[in-house]
Amino acid sequence: MTGHEFTIQHKGEMIMENKIWSKGMTLLTLGAMLALTACGSGGDSKDSGSGGAVKLKIMWQGPDTRHQAMLKTQEVYTSLNPTITFSPEYMAWDDYWKKLPTLAASHSMPDVLHMDGAYIQEYATRGTLEDLSDMDLSGVIDDKTLENLKIDGKLYGIPISRNAQGIAFNTEGLTSAGIELPKKDWTWDEFFDFARNARTKLPDGVYPISDSDTWDFYQYYQTSNGKGPIIQENGTKFNLDKELFTKFYGIYAEFREKKIVPPADMVSSFKENDPQADPMASGKVMTRGATVGSVGALEQLMPGKVDVVNIPVGPEGGGWAQPTIFLSVSTDSKHKDEAKAFIKWFVTDRQAGTTYGMNFGIPIYDDVYKALEPTLQPKDKLGNKLYDTAKDKALPFYPAAAGWTEWVDNYKKTMDAVMFGQKSIEDAYNEISKAGNAIAEKQSKK
Amino acid sequence: MNAEAVVNKRTDAKLRLTKKKLKGSNDNLAGYIFISPWLIGFLLLTVWPIIQSFYLSFTEYSLLEAPTWTGMDNYKNIFTNDTDFTTSLKVTFIFVLFSVPLKLFFSLMVAIMLNKNVKGMNLYRTAIYFPSLIGGSIAVSALWRNMFNLNGYFNHVLAWFGIEGVGWITNPHTSLGTLILLNTWQFGSTMVIFLAGLKQIPNELYESASVDGATGIRKFFHITLPMLSPVMFFNLVLGIIGSFQMFTSAFIITQGGPINSTYMYALFLYDKAFKHYQMGYASALAWILLVIVALMTVINFMVSRYWVFYETDGGKHK
Repeated sequence: MTGHEFTIQHKGEMIMENKIWSKGMTLLTLGAMLALTACGSGGDSKDSGSGGAVKLKIMWQGPDTRHQAMLKTQEVYTSLNPTITFSPEYMAWDDYWKKLPTLAASHSMPDVLHMDGAYIQEYATRGTLEDLSDMDLSGVIDDKTLENLKIDGKLYGIPISRNAQGIAFNTEGLTSAGIELPKKDWTWDEFFDFARNARTKLPDGVYPISDSDTWDFYQYYQTSNGKGPIIQENGTKFNLDKELFTKFYGIYAEFREKKIVPPADMVSSFKENDPQADPMASGKVMTRGATVGSVGALEQLMPGKVDVVNIPVGPEGGGWAQPTIFLSVSTDSKHKDEAKAFIKWFVTDRQAGTTYGMNFGIPIYDDVYKALEPTLQPKDKLGNKLYDTAKDKALPFYPAAAGWTEWVDNYKKTMDAVMFGQKSIEDAYNEISKAGNAIAEKQSKK
Repeated sequence: MNAEAVVNKRTDAKLRLTKKKLKGSNDNLAGYIFISPWLIGFLLLTVWPIIQSFYLSFTEYSLLEAPTWTGMDNYKNIFTNDTDFTTSLKVTFIFVLFSVPLKLFFSLMVAIMLNKNVKGMNLYRTAIYFPSLIGGSIAVSALWRNMFNLNGYFNHVLAWFGIEGVGWITNPHTSLGTLILLNTWQFGSTMVIFLAGLKQIPNELYESASVDGATGIRKFFHITLPMLSPVMFFNLVLGIIGSFQMFTSAFIITQGGPINSTYMYALFLYDKAFKHYQMGYASALAWILLVIVALMTVINFMVSRYWVFYETDGGKHK
């Protein structure tokens, strides 16, 4: 009797257990199916391409005025093409180049992205950018310009503006101290003398020029003196002139001593376009580097007080004046046609040009620029002036080749150590050379 | 009754035995299936990448091209030819050496203060713990950057007293100290664990000590500290592991600079992986970090026998 009872009871338990089991399994299967379908639809929802609505992911860097102009330009495009909307992301220069590598690595770069002459080689040679050679831009950008911008015969970004490097200076600060303003095509000696002279007239705590710890500013000195760029032949040759290097940083060492440049910890705390931390807008330094596309932002921080001059020149010329700002399309993009259509409109359409104005430099298409010209504000004309000043003596823009970002970082770190008085110029030269030669050797083996 | 019953009983017993066995394995299987969503995630998103990174540490891998096998090259380069490795390791060790004891000391002091029976203590506790809710986040780092910059609030306050401040985070002599301070200031969770530990100490111990005439300091050193040592040990181990992996504030506030003075190991690793595209090299660095942290933890456990007091051992901790 008892045994019988036991079995029945046990059976009950078994049934119960089976029920729980099957319920659990059903739930699990359901869950798995849901997850699967979610993945599936996540991949191709709204990807219908032609006809359907498309959301283009777009990302760029720059100062706030550029962000606002860019957002407005996208609004205009959506109003003309209601099926295309944008998912924009924008940030300052430093943050942009910090974020982009991770996006590239995870194959999640935006459809349309802002590229710069300093980085495009790196991204192009790693296969992250779409070849845009087939875009028809005849009559818009001359063939020679496009040909010059090709990397291994392919066009990885559409240049959207003419850009140039120069130096901005505080007219009010310099004039009121009785200092002669820098003139177009000034030489390096004149530049250094300007700094020495200005020191004697400027009040304490205000500096004529800032310190220099990045490779590009020294490279201007080297190239203008006819010794060629530092990184040559696609990154397989390294060329750092010891004599010029020692002379250049020797002058800065003298400047540090004589307080012609600000103390090192002040220099490290500068942040361009930040009202409080910008070297010029904060009133601490009378000059700083500026480009056609960015000088407007500086002018807005100190209206009416900014003027521009080109990078000091040497026997070979100096600085650069050419397109360095591009719009590129990611190879991972699922909306390449839409992305290309937007870029073409951006470069060729007058309404687009009048919306973003001079925020990227001088629009590359003359038609667009002519439409823009009557509306130009003083800050915009400044960019124009910078371009005109720089173009006569301009040398080519010499970027770091692919694989050299580490060296670029190390250059700054090493020169920072010199700036803080922790390293001699000779040691710095040896370290930078050793690292540069090692990378050149590695690159030439590839 | 008799014969039939005996047989019945026997089969019953047999049945019960097999059922029991079956049930046991069924239970396990069901358990695994129920935790499978987590388990699959753990295996795919944690274990698999760890195995992969071990493999990658023997390769050169730029993320965008396929990895190529280079054997021990990465490790060789790291140990013989990379000054950034030694620098970042040194910076990290200094950081751990100062920030961990400081944080332990500071959070213990606060915990003791908050353990007093004062009216409205819950309010104080909440107020003091509150900043930890935003903890080691980006926002706090950004705030810290503004506070300790050359033009920061801190220097403004100093200026009231006629002191000219330096650029705390842009001066190589003070930048690491500033980050250590920030880490110490984020004492919330450590403090809460200490507080919980303090609450566990039975009051009788203090009472009987008082009867024997022990003073406050004596009570602290002979009751509070020994009774709290397991909690302290726990906080120490976690603190060391956490500090070795310190990344956010160095990344946001100083970016390792000026001149590598705050170049934390984790930041160095990040630069290699995502800035210079040397994923293989970075993987090797990650494994070296793992070994270092594991070693530190083992040493900690070995040393703990001499100072951590477990009541359950009846004090036999020699």
